[in-house]
Amino acid sequence: MSSVKQSVNLDLQLRQLLLPKLGQEVSECEDVIAVDTEKCRFAVADGATEAFDARKWAERLAQQWVRRESTLTPEEFRSWVAEEGRELHDWWNGLNLSWYAETKARAGSFAAFVGVELDLKSELPCWKAIALGDTCLLHRRGDVLVKSLPLARSDSFNNAPILVASNSALHENSMKSVVSDSGKCESGDVLLLMSDAVASWYLQCFENEDLAAEDYFFTRPDNELIEFFDQERLAGRIRNDDLAIVRIEIKERSMG
Amino acid sequence: MADPFSGDSARKKSDFVAEVVNHTLHDLVIRCTKTEEVRNYYHVSVIGYGRHVGSCFAGPLSARNIVPIAEVADYPLQVKSSYKRVADGAGGWVEIPVRYPVWIHPASDGKTPMCEALARAKDILQGWLLQHPRGFPPTVLHLTDGESSDGDPNEIGRQIMSLGTDDGAVLLFNCHISTRRSAKIEYPTEESSLPDGFARSLFEISSKLPSNFLAAAAQLGVNAVESSRGFVFNGDPSSIVQFYEIGTSLTGMTPYRWMDDRTETA
Repeated sequence: MSSVKQSVNLDLQLRQLLLPKLGQEVSECEDVIAVDTEKCRFAVADGATEAFDARKWAERLAQQWVRRESTLTPEEFRSWVAEEGRELHDWWNGLNLSWYAETKARAGSFAAFVGVELDLKSELPCWKAIALGDTCLLHRRGDVLVKSLPLARSDSFNNAPILVASNSALHENSMKSVVSDSGKCESGDVLLLMSDAVASWYLQCFENEDLAAEDYFFTRPDNELIEFFDQERLAGRIRNDDLAIVRIEIKERSMG
Repeated sequence: MADPFSGDSARKKSDFVAEVVNHTLHDLVIRCTKTEEVRNYYHVSVIGYGRHVGSCFAGPLSARNIVPIAEVADYPLQVKSSYKRVADGAGGWVEIPVRYPVWIHPASDGKTPMCEALARAKDILQGWLLQHPRGFPPTVLHLTDGESSDGDPNEIGRQIMSLGTDDGAVLLFNCHISTRRSAKIEYPTEESSLPDGFARSLFEISSKLPSNFLAAAAQLGVNAVESSRGFVFNGDPSSIVQFYEIGTSLTGMTPYRWMDDRTETA
């Protein structure tokens, strides 16, 4: 848990959790978290398991996005993804690959992506986000879910989300589904970036008016938190998938 | 299999079938490819029958009855170069060089010892089932261009369908192809619609298509319903392609439509 001072009035408190599928190693995890506290930009990307080099594509999207300025409109996002995809395909083309890896690389890689930038220095503190796929940004104020994007209900998740494609031939179509949005920030608000399985579970908690899990989440140490999510996955309440969570709590800055 | 399809006098059936089988193996490998590694989600057997009954694999896999898919990937007989037409991302098309592996060559001689071939398949299945009693039940895709020359295959077919794992029975699908201009019958629900005893015999040893296979059929525009059998009679070239695409669509994935985008074989 880390605290980042942002303005005269508001601070951020940040917590992150990244877990591979049950029974898999961290090195096999295809969810990626990227954070740049100076720029106040946060991202989660989820590489598609069936795709070529999915972790590398997810890493590239998340890590490069938080280092950038802006890239918060669909137009900016489209041209930036095209450039990142070209560079990655050029790199793959330089490798000496087997016939099957070459075939798979040509189809390219796919990832879900959500990125958010906070501006807490202005008179009207706010967030701006961009997303494609089924990694989500959820904005909670008390017991109210102010916003959830790009998906807003637990039953909206399926096995075939439209994802960020590295292959330029595929990427134009998918870009039509990019979602960008913004919202105001107040002290006490919580923003959550979550990959699909845990986002679906979290939305279901809201739909069932069961917020105990969220309270549990931010009060427990890491080892208990990991155990909690392992149990939820073992019990089938969360699908056995990689989990990525970035929790940003906006608080009044303590004086002195 | 040495004859051409009617209306396509330039092409032997055996050449076309070998190409479909090679592309089916290619598709299975790609489905199992995880970046540079191929995961052994499948074990594959390719049995041919004519003058002899036995494995069709040639080259390094020669005479192997059943092969993990990662070994299939690494040991093709040869890798050919081709071109593939792909969208250029700007509304146009470009042709790019691609590599296509070949595992089997066409063959067409001798009679149709269908019972012996199915008995060989049964032996291979029994060996695999002993080692994988909880695995996804195997699928047998049986393609023939004529009636059995060594007896009625009904009994051995039923024996195959009685095998299984904890997860379900072995699936046996049959595709009969013909050079006659008779109407083809695809994935029927009742044997009363079939023209003769041979067709009815194959119908009886064809499993019903489970839901994943029905979903794949729907994606290909094939008319198959809940009680449809995995059976084609008097099939044409497109029937063969669809039979293999449907028969290998275990995971609900979109069938790999290689016929749509291939332009040339070098």
